[in-house]
Amino acid sequence: MTALPTTVAEVRSTSLLSADFIARLERLEIVSRKIHSARQRGDRRSRRRGDSAEFADYRNYVSGDDLRHIDWNIYARLDRLFLKLFFEEEELNVSILLDVSGSMSAGAPEKALYGKRVMAALAYVGLCNHDRVNLCAYTNRVVRARWGFRGRRSLPEVLSFIDALPVGGASGFVGAAREFAMRHTQKGVCVVVSDLLDKQGFTAGLPYLVGRRMDAYVVQTLSPQELAPELAGDLALVDAEDGEVAEVTISRPLLDRYMSRLEEHRAAIRAYCLRRGVSFVTTSTAQPFETLVLGYLRGRGLLR
Amino acid sequence: MTFLSLKAGLWAAAAVVPLLILLYFLKLKRQRREVSSTLLWRRAVEDLRVNAPFQRLRRNLLLFLQLLLLAAVLAGIAEPVARFLRTSRPRVVILLDRSGSMRATEADGRPRLEHAREAAEAFVASLPAGTEAMVVSFGASPAVVQPLTSDLRRVAAAIREIEPTDEPTRIEQALQLAMAYSESNSAAAAGAESENAAAEDDRSLDTGAGLDIEIFSDGNIADAEPTDRAGARMRLHRVGEATDNVGITMLDVRRDADRPGMVFVFAEIENFGREAVTTDVSLSLEGRPISGPGSVQAVALGAAEDEGAPGSAGVSSGDGGSRGNVLFEFEHGAGGEVRLEVHRADALASDNVACAVVAPPRAASMLVVSGRPRALAVLVKAAEALGVGELRTMSPGEYESAAEGEIAAGGRLRFDLAVFDQHETDRLVPGGYAFFDSLPKMDGVSWSRTVERQPIVYGRNEHAIMRNIDYETLYISRWREAILPPRALRLLEGPDSAAISYLEDAGRRFVIAGFDLLESNLPLAEAFPMLIQNMLTSMSASGAADSGRSPRTGDSIMVTPPAGATRVTVTRPDGAREAAAVRAVADFALGELRGAGVFRLSFDDPAGTTKAVAVNVEDANESRIRTKGAVRIGGEEVDIVGAERPTNVPLWKYAVAAALAALALEWWVYHRRVMI
Repeated sequence: MTALPTTVAEVRSTSLLSADFIARLERLEIVSRKIHSARQRGDRRSRRRGDSAEFADYRNYVSGDDLRHIDWNIYARLDRLFLKLFFEEEELNVSILLDVSGSMSAGAPEKALYGKRVMAALAYVGLCNHDRVNLCAYTNRVVRARWGFRGRRSLPEVLSFIDALPVGGASGFVGAAREFAMRHTQKGVCVVVSDLLDKQGFTAGLPYLVGRRMDAYVVQTLSPQELAPELAGDLALVDAEDGEVAEVTISRPLLDRYMSRLEEHRAAIRAYCLRRGVSFVTTSTAQPFETLVLGYLRGRGLLR
Repeated sequence: MTFLSLKAGLWAAAAVVPLLILLYFLKLKRQRREVSSTLLWRRAVEDLRVNAPFQRLRRNLLLFLQLLLLAAVLAGIAEPVARFLRTSRPRVVILLDRSGSMRATEADGRPRLEHAREAAEAFVASLPAGTEAMVVSFGASPAVVQPLTSDLRRVAAAIREIEPTDEPTRIEQALQLAMAYSESNSAAAAGAESENAAAEDDRSLDTGAGLDIEIFSDGNIADAEPTDRAGARMRLHRVGEATDNVGITMLDVRRDADRPGMVFVFAEIENFGREAVTTDVSLSLEGRPISGPGSVQAVALGAAEDEGAPGSAGVSSGDGGSRGNVLFEFEHGAGGEVRLEVHRADALASDNVACAVVAPPRAASMLVVSGRPRALAVLVKAAEALGVGELRTMSPGEYESAAEGEIAAGGRLRFDLAVFDQHETDRLVPGGYAFFDSLPKMDGVSWSRTVERQPIVYGRNEHAIMRNIDYETLYISRWREAILPPRALRLLEGPDSAAISYLEDAGRRFVIAGFDLLESNLPLAEAFPMLIQNMLTSMSASGAADSGRSPRTGDSIMVTPPAGATRVTVTRPDGAREAAAVRAVADFALGELRGAGVFRLSFDDPAGTTKAVAVNVEDANESRIRTKGAVRIGGEEVDIVGAERPTNVPLWKYAVAAALAALALEWWVYHRRVMI
C-alpha cells in the first residue's frame, strides 16, 4: 500500500487528485451566494459592517462612534455628522458532506471514489482560499467528521482523511443532516455529494441545512449502470445497503418504468431544491469529475 | 368418494404436476445481482403491475394463452362427446352373456367375457347423467346383477362382478326379465302420475318405449322366442374374434345290453375353426388311460363352413367334414368316472373335456300297467329291445290291489319306470311314471280339450327325455290337452297344445302323453325305444347318474337321496362345497350347473352314500365361437354394434388436458423475457 502524502509537494499527485488538476484548482475559489459570517476574520466579505477598506454604507453619528470614520465631506455640505461603514472581511465555512453508504460502493466507475474526488477537489479549493473546511462522511448518521481544516498545509491531512473513509451501511440523510446541523451551527457553503438513493427520503434532510441558512448544493452522482441498466432475465436484485431482495423479470416495459421512476425521482428532488434555493447538480460517474468540478460546479456558481 | 376416470386423472397429474414443479423450481433459480439500491426497481415493478390492466390490448402472448386456457376449461365443463350412436332413451338394460362361449380366449390372451365387460363398462361410462340402467347376466338362466338405478357407478361395478360359466346361451328369459323389470318400474312411475290408468289397458303405458336393450355377447345366441318388446330398442355389442376351436359336442356312455361288463363310449367331435385339423382324443377311466389299444384315437376334421353353407359337415372321421366320431370300448365290471379329452390347445378349453359316470352294471327294471293286450305288447316289445332286466306287467286292477312290496321298496318305486296305458291312479310313490292317454290322480291335473289332426311342430330335444327323438316324423291323430300346474314342461307340442308334458311333484316324475299309443305311429318309430330308454335313465328312482347322456351345463337335475339321508354335501368341480337338507321322499334338486365337471354328493345316510354327477358342455352352439354375420333374436335381426367401439366418446378429458397444457405453457412464458 502506498504511503499517504504528508507534504503539499507529495499531494500534488495522488489517487484522488491529479497534479494537473490540482494546479487548476488553485485558481478557483468557492463562492457563496449568501455572504456568511464566521468567527474569524477571513478573506470573505461579510454583510456585517466592519473595518475593511471597502465602503459599504452611511449612518448617523452617535456619541461614541469612531471619529476616524466620519465623512467630513458630507459634513461640509450638509452640516451633519455621518459615519462611513465598511464591509467586514470574514472567514467562509465550507462543509462537504459525502454519502458513504453502501449504495455508493456500486458502479463502475465507483460512486464513492468519484465522490471522494469531488470532496477532495472542493476541500482543496477551500484550503487554498483560507476557507474553513469541514469534512463530514455520513450514512444514516455522521460516521466520520473533521472540522476546521485551514490553509494548504492541511491538505495532506485532508486527503488522508478522505482516503480512509469507509463505505458501507444504510442510507439515511435525514438523520445525518440533523446531526450535522446540531454540531455545525455556523453558516456557510454546504455541498452534499450523494446518489440520493435514500429509502427514507433524501429531501427530508434538506430542511436541516436550509434552516441553518446555509448555501446548500446537492451533487447527485449516479453510475452508468444505474442510468441505463444492462440487465436481463429472471433476477433477484439484492440491495447493497440492507440486503433486501427484489425479484424481477427484466422486460422492456419494466426497464421503461424504471427509467421513468428514476427521472421522477430526480425531478422531485430538483423541484424541492429549487423551491428552497438549493442548487441541484446531477452527474454520472462516467463523466470525468474534472468536468464536473471545472464545468458544472462553476456553471452553478459554486466555484469561480 | 370415487372417481369415474381415475386413470385419466392420474395420467394427467403424472404429466402436468412434475412439469409445474419443474417450472416452479426454474422460477426459484433467479440469478442474484447486487445493485446499489432496489428503491427504484420496486417502484418500477409495482408500476408495471398496477398499469398492466390498463395497457392497450396489443398482441399479448400471455393473454392469448390465458384465453386459450379458459376456453379449454369451459369446453371441458360443457362435457363434449363424439356421438356415434346416441342413446336418447332414459332407461337401458344391459344384458351380458356369461355363457360357455364367452370363456374363449382371444388373441390378447384374455377371455372373451373380459372384453365384453370392458365394452359394457365403456358403454355405461358414455351414458348421459340421469340415465337409468340395469344389468342382467344370462347363460342358461338370467340373473339380475343390478336392478334399475341411475347410479352408473354401481352399474359399472355390477358388470365387473360377472363371472364366466360353461352354460348354454338362452336369452329369452333374460329378455322377459328385462321387460318385466322395466314394466314394474314404469308402472310404479306411471301409477304415481295417473291414478286413473286402467289396469286392463297395459298397452297404454307402453312400457317398452324409452327402453334400450344393449346385449354384450359374441352373438352365438339361439333364436329366442318372439318376445313382445313393446317398442324397446335392441342392439348387440358383439365381441370376440377367435375362431379356432375343436370341441366335444356329444358324449354317450352305455353298457352293452347283452354284455353288461362291456362299456361303450361314443362321442362326437366337431371342428369350428377355419382350418382343417387332426387331433388326438383320449379316454381315461378313473384317471388312468383305458387298457388296450385305442385309448388314444386320432381324428381328422375339416374346416368348418360358414354358417348356412350347404354340406358343411360330415358325420364320420376322415370324410373331410368338420365333424368326427370316436368310439371307445372297454371292459369294466364296476362303476367309475370316464373322461374324454381332446388334446388340442385352442381358444375354448372347456369343451375339450367331457366326463361321464358309469354306473355299475345293473339291468333296468320296468312296470307296464295296461288293460289292452295290443298296447301291452307294444310296450313289452320296446322294453325287451332295450334289454330291460326286469319287466313286470300288471292289469290296472292288479296294480291297485298289489301288495306294497311288489311296487315299492323303501318308500320308492322299485322299478326304474312304471308305464300306465289308459289307467289313472293315485297310488304313486316317489319314482318315475309315464302315462299314456291317462293322468295321475292329483290336484291340479285334469283334462282340457281334445285336439285332432294337428301336426307336431316342436319337440324339446334339449330335455333328457327328448334327446335324440326325431319328432318330425311322428303323427298323432288326436290328443287330449292336459291341464297341469304351471311348472309342467311341454316336451312335444302341436301348434297350440302339448301332446307330451313332463311334471315333477313331491319326488315323483311324470311323463304325461295325452294320446292313445295305438292312435299314433310312435310305437313304429325309431323314437319309441329311444323315448323309453330316456325315461328309464332319467326318471329312475336311483337317480339320473346311471348311464347314458350326462346332464349338460344349464340343466337342473334331480337327485334321489338314499333312504335315511337328511343332509347332503355337494362338492362342485371348482372345489366349492355347500350343504343342504334333504328329505327321503323328495328328490334333491342339483341346480346351478354353471360349470362343467364332476359334482360329488355325499349323503349322511347310515351307508355314507356318495354319488357323482358329470356335467358337460356338449353344446355345439357354445363351441361355435366364431361370431355370426347376422344375429336374430325373437324373430328379428338385431342391430350389431362393434363392441370395441364405444357409443359415445366423451371428449371433456381432452379439453381438460389441453387446459393443463395451456396453463403450463402460460406459466413458462410468464416467467421468461417477453418481447412485447
